[in-house]
Amino acid sequence: MKISVLYGTETGNAEMLAEDIQSALNDEHDIDCINLADVDPGALSNETFHVIVCSTYGDGELPTSAKPFAEELAKTGNSLSGIQFAVFGLGDAEYAETFTHGSLKLADMLKSCGATQVGERMTHDASGDCPPEDVAVPWISEILNQFPLNSKEM
Amino acid sequence: MSGQIAIVGAGPSGCYLAQTLLKLAPDLKVDLIDALPVPFGLTRYGVAADHQGTKAVTRQFARIFERQGARFFGNVRVGRDLSLAQISSAYDATVLAAGLSSDRPLDIPGGDLPQVYGSARLTRALYEHPDAADLPDLGAHPVILGNGNVAVDLLRILCKTPAELEGSDLGPGPTAWLAANNIETITIVGRSPAAKVKFDPVMVRELGKLENVHVTMEESEPSSDPEEQKKLQALHDLNGHGTGSIRVDFRFGAQPLAVEGDSQVTGLRVASVESDEIIGATSLITAIGFMSDGDLNRDALITKAATQQGGKLAERLYSAGWFRHGPRGTIPQSRTDVQDTAALILSELAIDPARTGATIFAELPNCTDYPGWQQIDRVERGQSLPGRCRQKITSIKKLINVAKQRGQKL
Repeated sequence: MKISVLYGTETGNAEMLAEDIQSALNDEHDIDCINLADVDPGALSNETFHVIVCSTYGDGELPTSAKPFAEELAKTGNSLSGIQFAVFGLGDAEYAETFTHGSLKLADMLKSCGATQVGERMTHDASGDCPPEDVAVPWISEILNQFPLNSKEM
Repeated sequence: MSGQIAIVGAGPSGCYLAQTLLKLAPDLKVDLIDALPVPFGLTRYGVAADHQGTKAVTRQFARIFERQGARFFGNVRVGRDLSLAQISSAYDATVLAAGLSSDRPLDIPGGDLPQVYGSARLTRALYEHPDAADLPDLGAHPVILGNGNVAVDLLRILCKTPAELEGSDLGPGPTAWLAANNIETITIVGRSPAAKVKFDPVMVRELGKLENVHVTMEESEPSSDPEEQKKLQALHDLNGHGTGSIRVDFRFGAQPLAVEGDSQVTGLRVASVESDEIIGATSLITAIGFMSDGDLNRDALITKAATQQGGKLAERLYSAGWFRHGPRGTIPQSRTDVQDTAALILSELAIDPARTGATIFAELPNCTDYPGWQQIDRVERGQSLPGRCRQKITSIKKLINVAKQRGQKL
């Protein structure tokens, strides 16, 4: 099964992490990396496993590059059944009330359109010490181990 | 032969431009030149010490040098060490991304009194910019003039307790200065009504976490505009916050008329709806915008440019960031802004193999490079005090000396 890493970014940090995930999985998987700004929700495929990487901006809002995708999603209705995704959120725990709300909102929207979230949503705090790839790569590897992509039951 | 591009200024806009250029054309030679021995400009010296999450963009900028092949030439001040003409003739294209580092003056009577401090000056001193003036005595009643995020940043830092500065990179000198302040009130004055403030709501909410303040303001008229409503709601939620010792009083719709005092600031005279009023003050911090410090003849270059499309100033000469647009826009906006400049540069690039590129820096004995910065970074992190993530090296000379020890073990 193909993997698509889809990122929503404001400063480029989520884009960098998405590229890191792509590099880490590149040897073992057919994987690409796309800005959500260039993704039409209606074109998502059941044959692809989606890894969403999304930051949070301002007062818990979606980053700019995820906004058009979210606007389209809102019009999509319940048509994403069979679409599978995992989601990773970037944020800054200095803003505790809205920490990683961008990824949370996007995951909720995808689910309300019928898509299936695989694994737990994982987050990273930009004010912390460790780089996001050190959290995200083990997280996605574990998900891929638990839910082998060639398995029909996934 | 690949094209050679010089970017003057290794702050956020210069770094984002280098990143974009090298993504579009990985074979380019991109050299970032900075007047300071260290890269990252505003991210290091302007972003607040307690906003380490915002500073995380430097991880992206580091990769420009570590993975995308850009080079850093620090401690090179254009106009002192090399002329712009020398740089321009050595490169196929040159981009000015040196920011705007001076305070816009307060153009009212008394605006030049000694206790009137610009936010850029104060910010540089707080964050230990090597060229900074000393931190001043603000007295018991500083007034902050300005209703943008720079004003809120200064307000927040001035009010923070030692515990609230944990995890920041505020240096020992500024930390001691903050602890020695005897601030009783901070009045934050803006000429616009509350609905028109430029604060981001999230920055206002952050003030609602401060322990040692109590916040006062007059409630404002409601607005029908959704963006204005968000700001008014954040201000409303903040009003009355806290029982701490520093009173933070917001004053909206107050047009500054004059700074009162002969040799010592005693107040700020403002015109409000009913009548003139003097807000008592021991010092005035102006956060009313930035301008060029005169380096690189920015204003003349901008005036002379036939078109500012894509940041173009002249043949083979471009601009980016605040140097291009003026002092508005956030770090992520500068990322978006450089896209058209990068595309224009690549579309106009005429490669001349005779251009000498970075050899022009060979004659500068104190020019620093990226491995030199990595050495400074290691030393600064290694010497950080408890509760801090970094202790900056604050003198140019020391920065250069540490940079020269690159490759050596600590």
